[in-house]
Amino acid sequence: MNRRFALVSVATLSLASLATLISVAAATAQKSAAKKAPPAAARNSSVPAPAQTAITVDGVADIDPAKAFGSRNAPVIMEIFSDFQCPACRQLFITTTQRVMDNYVNNNKVFVVHRDFPLPMHAYSRVAASYARAAAHVGKGDAVEMALFQNQEKWEMSGDVKGTVAAVLTPAEMKKVQALVDGKTLEPLIDKDRQLAMAVPVNQTPTSIIHTRDGQSYPVVGYVSFDVLKTLLDQLTK
Amino acid sequence: MMQSAPFNYRRIIIWLGRLVLAVIFIYAGLAKMIRWDMHPRPPLGIATSLFALQIDSYQMLPPWASIQVARWLPWAEIAVGLLLLVGWQLRIWSTMVTLIIGGFFVAVLRAYALHLDINCGCFAKPEPLTGLTVLRDGALFLLAVLMTVFAFQEARKPHPWAAAERST
Repeated sequence: MNRRFALVSVATLSLASLATLISVAAATAQKSAAKKAPPAAARNSSVPAPAQTAITVDGVADIDPAKAFGSRNAPVIMEIFSDFQCPACRQLFITTTQRVMDNYVNNNKVFVVHRDFPLPMHAYSRVAASYARAAAHVGKGDAVEMALFQNQEKWEMSGDVKGTVAAVLTPAEMKKVQALVDGKTLEPLIDKDRQLAMAVPVNQTPTSIIHTRDGQSYPVVGYVSFDVLKTLLDQLTK
Repeated sequence: MMQSAPFNYRRIIIWLGRLVLAVIFIYAGLAKMIRWDMHPRPPLGIATSLFALQIDSYQMLPPWASIQVARWLPWAEIAVGLLLLVGWQLRIWSTMVTLIIGGFFVAVLRAYALHLDINCGCFAKPEPLTGLTVLRDGALFLLAVLMTVFAFQEARKPHPWAAAERST
């Protein structure tokens, strides 16, 4: 009995030490990999020039104005990296982001930047990002993003992204959107967002990065509720 | 009356458990409040809010509870870690540590099973929750359980040195 206890104890200690060592080593390796990421200018060099001019606000570069909301003078910038096919991104967009828009963006306290980070494991997220980007450039980004997130389960089964988008646009708007998607003129903007995400690095979606005017950045990973996010935004915007 | 040897395996486990878990708890509590990983370091209020967001991402607690846990857990971790080191009322504090680590283990296991793409939040810094995190927390939980069980068992037996003092 005692010998069995001794064996279990020794095994537990060994396992705990091993797991702790491995996790510390993994975290260190990840940190050094992040440090090795090239600077913003270098990492964008391989991407062709986008059709629309990207802007820089308070050090946050490569912002597509069509995918940004609020005052550029807001004390806080919130970059949201998301994937249209990810359920947690859907949850964040429908609940938290909408309330952030109502309570902080409309009051010029937060400047929200939507970044596309379509994950390769999702079959239609890149197509959805293309349609959403195109819709944003014809002034219908809000409606299309909402439609894509609200109907996520339908189009991820059928693959009918186009039909989901068309349902919330007029035929004339859809024609413009389709032309932009077919022309692939906005694809470099999505590629740029992806490259930015890889350089941060963003490991999960959704990931929100909250920037303050004094240059501090706070990453927020996963879905978070508005009430908890509010405690942070209130301190940063007062 | 039963009497145990001064250095049996149970006592070694208790000592190691106290040392390992105390260091981990104190480090984890301080890391959540000080945020060494951030430059410049954020004030305590912001660090608390960031930790509340990490707790909230587990989607286990209502928002108000996430905020309260974020406010008090780091202090509790430091206090319990120090009490473990001191060794006063070991059975009570080792039980408390076991319950806390048990809670962490359940939370991590649940998040992993639900495929939640979140950070662990264990030591405040960005650390994706993986199978290794589950394994680590499971091993620490097992260590805490053993330490507590042995602490109760050893408390029933007089320490040989104490017994020797009494007899002289």
